[in-house]
Amino acid sequence: MAAIGKSEWEVKIPEKTLKEKLYFENLKATVIDTKLCSRCLTCACVCPVDGIIAIDGVEFPNYEEECTDCSACVKVCPRFVYEPKSGLGSYIEFIAGQSKRFKGQDGAMVTELIVSAIEMGMIDRGLFVGRDEDWVTEIFHVRDIEQLEIPTLGGTKYTFARVLPELKKAVRFTKKGVGVVGTPCMVSGVRKLQQEFPLFREKIKLVVGLFCTENFHYDELTKYLKEKGVDFSKLIKTDITMGKFIATMTDGEVKFKVRALEEILPSGCNVCTDFTAVESDTSVGSVGSAAGFSTVVVREENAKKIIDFIKKKGYADFGEAKPEELGFLIGHKKKREENIGK
Amino acid sequence: MKKVATPEYDIKDKLKHHVSALSTAAKEVVMPLNVTTQYPRERRKMPDCFRGYILFDPERCISCFQCSFVCPANAIWMKEAPSGRYYPTLDYGKCIFCHFCVDTCPGGALKQTKIHDVAYKDMDEMFTLTEEMIEPPEIIREDEGYVDYVIDKEDLSLKRTKGIDKLIVDVAPSQGVPLVSLCVEPENCLGCGICEGMCESGAVSSLKEDGMVRMKIDVDKCTGCGLCVKECPMQILRLFRE
Repeated sequence: MAAIGKSEWEVKIPEKTLKEKLYFENLKATVIDTKLCSRCLTCACVCPVDGIIAIDGVEFPNYEEECTDCSACVKVCPRFVYEPKSGLGSYIEFIAGQSKRFKGQDGAMVTELIVSAIEMGMIDRGLFVGRDEDWVTEIFHVRDIEQLEIPTLGGTKYTFARVLPELKKAVRFTKKGVGVVGTPCMVSGVRKLQQEFPLFREKIKLVVGLFCTENFHYDELTKYLKEKGVDFSKLIKTDITMGKFIATMTDGEVKFKVRALEEILPSGCNVCTDFTAVESDTSVGSVGSAAGFSTVVVREENAKKIIDFIKKKGYADFGEAKPEELGFLIGHKKKREENIGK
Repeated sequence: MKKVATPEYDIKDKLKHHVSALSTAAKEVVMPLNVTTQYPRERRKMPDCFRGYILFDPERCISCFQCSFVCPANAIWMKEAPSGRYYPTLDYGKCIFCHFCVDTCPGGALKQTKIHDVAYKDMDEMFTLTEEMIEPPEIIREDEGYVDYVIDKEDLSLKRTKGIDKLIVDVAPSQGVPLVSLCVEPENCLGCGICEGMCESGAVSSLKEDGMVRMKIDVDKCTGCGLCVKECPMQILRLFRE
């Protein structure tokens, strides 16, 4: 018999808070019903029967029949035992960058980082979020620079994307590694996955975090924006600058105060204190650098290598970024700590 | 340049060759020796392991899809039966009669026959449904005897026997390479127990204790069908040679 295969092995499972219930019911009671759930969908990524979906919040239709009670969702949920993270986090380098090859919301540095990582051979695919005509998010597995001709891959969407459910597929197909881009909650989810399962630890080579104040549910945001007079067929980009939400269309702009969006603020974001994705390999956002530039917070060695590669090849212009400009939004999110448990 | 000349025979040699030719002709008149099988009045006796028409026994099928996976011609399509199980259908328009499916079937549900003469009216008819694979096809037999080729020394001769050759022979199912399913990455196991639910032979078991799921594959019971390997959401099981 081959020596590498095992016929007997053990799997550790966490203790249930509700003894008689299924693990998913535990998750539901602790995270979803208490409105802690951030809809990062790490649970859907790992669910063996692919039962967990997000329609109106995270759900598992007919879990009584399908759930195998394997505890995986509870293991990987970043908010089952919630340790709120905040601040700027540790970093090696804090710079502003502008890609010469790509055009995006600001400096297109996320695209540049992932594509350069593919070119370096660190990863062989990156998960990108695109959108269709109605701004519904779609996930793309980018393996080649030519695929980036899809014009909707760059730029902010401000709605939830089902990135992590695709991650399982990406991890299974990849040879070298996968690069993921996500909001701070997704980054925390990926880290939890990596902590629990060696498969993800080995295969996810690059985690790019995005600066995030909040992210909206597609239905609620579109309804709200339509009321404000945004025509989705003409919409080019959405952005938040200087406390204002700006929707740029082909024939004008719609502006209103971000604070007005608080009425549709998802409950999961209401308890999120992480603005800069402190657990990521590198965080990227628009705040802290001049217009047309993206702020890049390099936290880990692998991200540093990519930045050095970009510098060597001259793929991007670099400038100075100001960490203190992030202070207001970090503080703004830190205040949400008091919402936890309410 | 080399010239090819006519061989020169003397009268003695010529006479010898003529006598030999005449005697062969006379022999053929009295006792003709042909090596052609007079099909359909007689059939060639095929070896028991002949790769002909394939029969199917649903009782032994465990719906493991191995036959359709191994088929190099993509002739086997698994179709859902009313019971919810998946059974093979075979397109003889595509089949190359390699019988890899018969060899790989872990339960011995597919069986070879010596039938090699089935006629179809069109291509659609060659698509054989599961129900049609259970019983041998209807063939009209006019044969009264069967023929064996015998090779003696350098010559090939026919050995004719009266009687009807049995086309369906019980052959012990191919042993193939005995495989067992084993876990290669136990640390990635979710403990979901899908493998246990898939296993037909009851080889996989999971036992929940406090804070622990004990997974076990009974190597003796495992048939190596690969169902658990295919269904494992984390793809941590592999088939190994026993």
